Amino acid sequence: MLRFVLRRLAALPLVLAGVTLLLFGLFSRLSPEMRASLYVTDPRQLSSLEAVVEKHGLRDPFLVQYGRWLKDILRGDLGYSETAKMPVADALAAYFPATIELSAASFIPIVLLGVWLGTRAAVNQDRWVDHLSRFVSITGYSLPSFVLGLFLLMVFYGLLQAFPPGRYSLPTDIAVHSPSFRSWTGLLTLDTLLNGRGAAFLDVARHLVLPAATLTYVSMALLVRVTRSSMLEELSKDYVRTARAKGLPESAVIARHARRNALVPVITVASILLVNLLGGVIITETVFAYPGIGRWVAQAALQLDVPAVMGVSLVSSSLFVLGNLAADVLYAAADPRIRLQ
Amino acid sequence: MREAAAEVWKRLRAKPLSLAGLGLVAFFAALAALAPILAPAPASSRDPYLIPQDGYSPDPVRPSRRHLFGTTEQQYDLYYGIVWGARTAFKVGCTVAAVSLAVGVAMGGLAGFYGGWVDEVLMRATDVIMALPGIILAVVIVTVRGPGLFNVMLAIALVHWPSYARLVRADVLSVRQRDFVLAARSLGAGDARILARHVLPNSIYPVLVVASLDIGAVVITAAALSFLGLGAPPGYADWGQLISLSRNWILGSSGSPLAYWHTVAIPGLTIFLFTLGWNLLGDAFRDILDPRQK
Amino acid sequence: MRRLTPLLALLVAFPGCARRQRPSSTYVYLAGSDIDSLDPDWAYDRLSDAAILQMYEPLLAFKPGSAAELEPLISEKVPSRANGLISADGLTYRFPIRKGVKFHGGQTLTPEDVRYSLLRFLLTDRDAGPSFVLLEPLLGYASTREGGKPKPAAFDDAAKAVRVEGDSVVLTLKRPFAPLLTVLATWAPMLSKDWCAKSGEWDGTRETWARFNNPAKESSFLFANANGTGPFLLERRSPEAKEVVLRRFDGYWRGPAKLSRALIKAVDEFATRKLMLQAGDADAIRAERLQLPLLQDLDGVQIVDGLSLVETRPAVFFTFRIETAGNPSVGSGKLDGKGIPADFFADKDVRRGFAHAFDYEGYIRDVDRGKGTRAVGFIPRGLLGHNDGKPRRGYDMAKAAKHLKRAWGGALWEKGFRFTASYEAGDQPGEAVANMLKRSLESLNPRFRVDVRPIQWSTYLDQQSHGKLPLFVTGWTADYPDPHNFAFSFMHSQGNMPSTQRYRNPEADRLVAAAAQELDEAKRAALYQRLQAIYEEDVPSFTILNSVYYRTQRTWVKGFVHYPMWLDAPYSCPLYALEKSDS
Repeated sequence: MLRFVLRRLAALPLVLAGVTLLLFGLFSRLSPEMRASLYVTDPRQLSSLEAVVEKHGLRDPFLVQYGRWLKDILRGDLGYSETAKMPVADALAAYFPATIELSAASFIPIVLLGVWLGTRAAVNQDRWVDHLSRFVSITGYSLPSFVLGLFLLMVFYGLLQAFPPGRYSLPTDIAVHSPSFRSWTGLLTLDTLLNGRGAAFLDVARHLVLPAATLTYVSMALLVRVTRSSMLEELSKDYVRTARAKGLPESAVIARHARRNALVPVITVASILLVNLLGGVIITETVFAYPGIGRWVAQAALQLDVPAVMGVSLVSSSLFVLGNLAADVLYAAADPRIRLQ
Repeated sequence: MREAAAEVWKRLRAKPLSLAGLGLVAFFAALAALAPILAPAPASSRDPYLIPQDGYSPDPVRPSRRHLFGTTEQQYDLYYGIVWGARTAFKVGCTVAAVSLAVGVAMGGLAGFYGGWVDEVLMRATDVIMALPGIILAVVIVTVRGPGLFNVMLAIALVHWPSYARLVRADVLSVRQRDFVLAARSLGAGDARILARHVLPNSIYPVLVVASLDIGAVVITAAALSFLGLGAPPGYADWGQLISLSRNWILGSSGSPLAYWHTVAIPGLTIFLFTLGWNLLGDAFRDILDPRQK
Repeated sequence: MRRLTPLLALLVAFPGCARRQRPSSTYVYLAGSDIDSLDPDWAYDRLSDAAILQMYEPLLAFKPGSAAELEPLISEKVPSRANGLISADGLTYRFPIRKGVKFHGGQTLTPEDVRYSLLRFLLTDRDAGPSFVLLEPLLGYASTREGGKPKPAAFDDAAKAVRVEGDSVVLTLKRPFAPLLTVLATWAPMLSKDWCAKSGEWDGTRETWARFNNPAKESSFLFANANGTGPFLLERRSPEAKEVVLRRFDGYWRGPAKLSRALIKAVDEFATRKLMLQAGDADAIRAERLQLPLLQDLDGVQIVDGLSLVETRPAVFFTFRIETAGNPSVGSGKLDGKGIPADFFADKDVRRGFAHAFDYEGYIRDVDRGKGTRAVGFIPRGLLGHNDGKPRRGYDMAKAAKHLKRAWGGALWEKGFRFTASYEAGDQPGEAVANMLKRSLESLNPRFRVDVRPIQWSTYLDQQSHGKLPLFVTGWTADYPDPHNFAFSFMHSQGNMPSTQRYRNPEADRLVAAAAQELDEAKRAALYQRLQAIYEEDVPSFTILNSVYYRTQRTWVKGFVHYPMWLDAPYSCPLYALEKSDS
């Protein structure tokens, strides 16, 4: 087990090197003038283009530029992001908690609703709840998040003015940036409560509703399906029949026996889902103007903000590798029959 | 083969939802095929994929007899865009699925068949690509190569192939050990011949099914890139583009908050139904192919 | 689910959502983009400069509502030859420095601070920064660097040009420069030398200047800190919230401002800006003409329309010598109906024909919602030399056909052409211009074909710097409100646009230089009229309209005065004049 984990961890730097080389290689296909567009933002500056190219060493060979970047990284300097208007490290610290907050706000309902719906569907196969689960998962699969997002915004924001986009409204913005507000976690829902600001908490929660609902709906399908099929499989097994034969009430059979075993694959799917959520928030954050890491990286990629894209990719790739590792370990821990090698 | 097809049809018929899926896909296929009849391009047009513009006013106009689905901002006709957009959707979906499948099969086949360092290199490459959130990689590829439909397709294909490669590799690994392959090898058949004649045909079907069912997802990803401003140029019949044209208009004017509902609802519903069709169909196939579920 | 319902109800009913009836004491402006840097000598984008000028003050200021008339600010008088503060030869300017002006940090402004501020502006000179506007007239060269290294003589040259004499600061020019005073009303605001030196910034000496030349943006202490003499001081800058918060400076020399606090915040999406305005959370927002119908008739929201700016936008530019190698924008690269040759637009008749084929009035009616008037020449309204007369060339398809039949000795009409017209992605007016031109040209002759393509900013830079864009729709907004800024950018062969268009007319070059040195207003105006006559004759580009803008604000905002040259106007304005009250 330990050897397995260590070996997978050892592969992490390799993956990261590959990821950064790939991205850096892609960006270096652009002409130096194009990459200078990050620093030259106005037609008035056109005549100084060459000087800017020179200053940032954009004409240097690819490996020289990559080496320079790598050297900075190893020194702990991730560079400056022109799109965030702050150093990449600061921007990660500022935007990452927002994304974690949004991911958590969707992950919890995904798991609770998904497992519930999947279980009910399996137990009541071919009844209405099963059809509902099918409907939810198929439509969730088929609905692009930006379509659902725009639609929700039109109704709940344009029409009902209930749930605005963004992360907070102005009074909260001022409150959470005032010197008296202590930032404990960066997660505003927690921080506002810890600071005893009820109104601000409600405001932050209100802003989470639509993006979290969107993410929940479009990401729940997989979990519902896995739970349903895994549950169906368990329900057909001998021990369940035995339990039933013993005269245990059906609810106890499901809760104590079948569901516990059925959840083993669900755990794996859920942990992969969590990692995917962190990558999948890009469109949702953009639609809802939610200031998280996804919106930032989308903007950064569009504006050729190389340091920002590289910084975010380092973090998200690490998360991906670690998340998958965690999924495997969890899987093995939950099911003693599986041995990692 | 014919028997198998009949069997598939029989099972398909048993499920009304699957039929609905088939119907939706057929509907869109008809839309795409009949586009020149349903929405004839204006005589002056040189490229039928360019949506005709009725004036230059920035405000969308609601559906009317003149514009069945209304217009978007800058007066692009929505009906025309939806009809010709069906062609774009099929083009994008099928091309990307085919290309990423071809690449995936080739890479996965090589990796599985040869093993060793070939396998190692190819699989580490898939590791790297899959470790990045797909949409980031796609966005970077398209920004680097410049926005446009072709580059969007290329980017999605490049992001998609590793998952197919892994599927194929796993299948090849299991097929490789089977008797008929070992027999072919003992008869002195060359690598290429074994791979092409014996291994791939036996491992390609599952991934073929998966890929054809990914068409809906591909269209969603392409639309997402369009939404971020990376798709076809303004005025090109592409559903994602039409959605992104609605972004300024979700609020409506004062007094009538849903004044521009059609700019979101019509293209949104279209993409949804198209993807729904493919997914329903896909669901049915999965059930049919999954031996555990009868 | 049932347990969730009350929580949801609570969230919906949350008061932040309801319209607030009373204005708070904080003025909130929602901008469309981020503030880049607060260093007055580094920043070169409209929003940063607009924020900076709430905290810092330059020597002079514009009179309310005017882009041409100046009034004293840090300088007690506006120099003129009449009051003797400008020498007869126009080479020496004397600025009597106001006394009793306090910095936010408590320091008193001295003439030495003024000298330091001007020197720092000149010598910071970051790549693609604003310093050239003063370097040219004062030092005679546009950059303080040669081959990427600081010029050893730059400090001495600057020190010679900027001197303290008693209570005045005296500037000595290399040659007469008519726009100098308007430049000094926008750029190089006052810093405290002591404070800067103590904060680790340049100490004002010859020995150290090179170290602070062309700095990295975030290395400047002034990037995120401020100490000026203006009516507002910096409370905080939060890049993660994309905002800058300003607080009233009670020791301001003209008396404290009426607003106690102001918040400038970047909100990318118009929809969010609109809702915040509607809810009373914002007092003014950035909103383009396109979005006007979404803002009309909102409760408690006022639209002030008809505000002109010092800009010429949009305009259509032709490239005289197109780089054809590896350039898909020119098709075959030959005049064979499938492309255009490199010198396609060098033929005057092509440019004239194109200018006739554009429906100016239709553009104003449809795209600009009937606002604005047809432009003549390139000098915007409100500036010396602006032409209010009738344009020489209007929308006339018969004349367009006549010119295009004559062009290329008739070969163009016979063979036809195909090329790509570009505009910057996201620029909707630019898109409309390109599409209108395309449609009307293609209706002239079935062998004419124009492809319209939006290009990203990065692509634009790349292609434009290599002369690869045959026809491009863009515009020009002033660095400082003087006709020279436009004449140079539209007509001079080294100007921003002509140098990439590869347009060169020696007569125009001569007139641009002469007009910049002419101190007599009437003569100067005549020179600009001649230049614009050449512009209409040559058509290196053509302008479309004198555009007008509108401002959207809460009705409780009082005291708004439009400053056409204020950066980021009309959405922002000097906050000193504003107040918020219900009455």
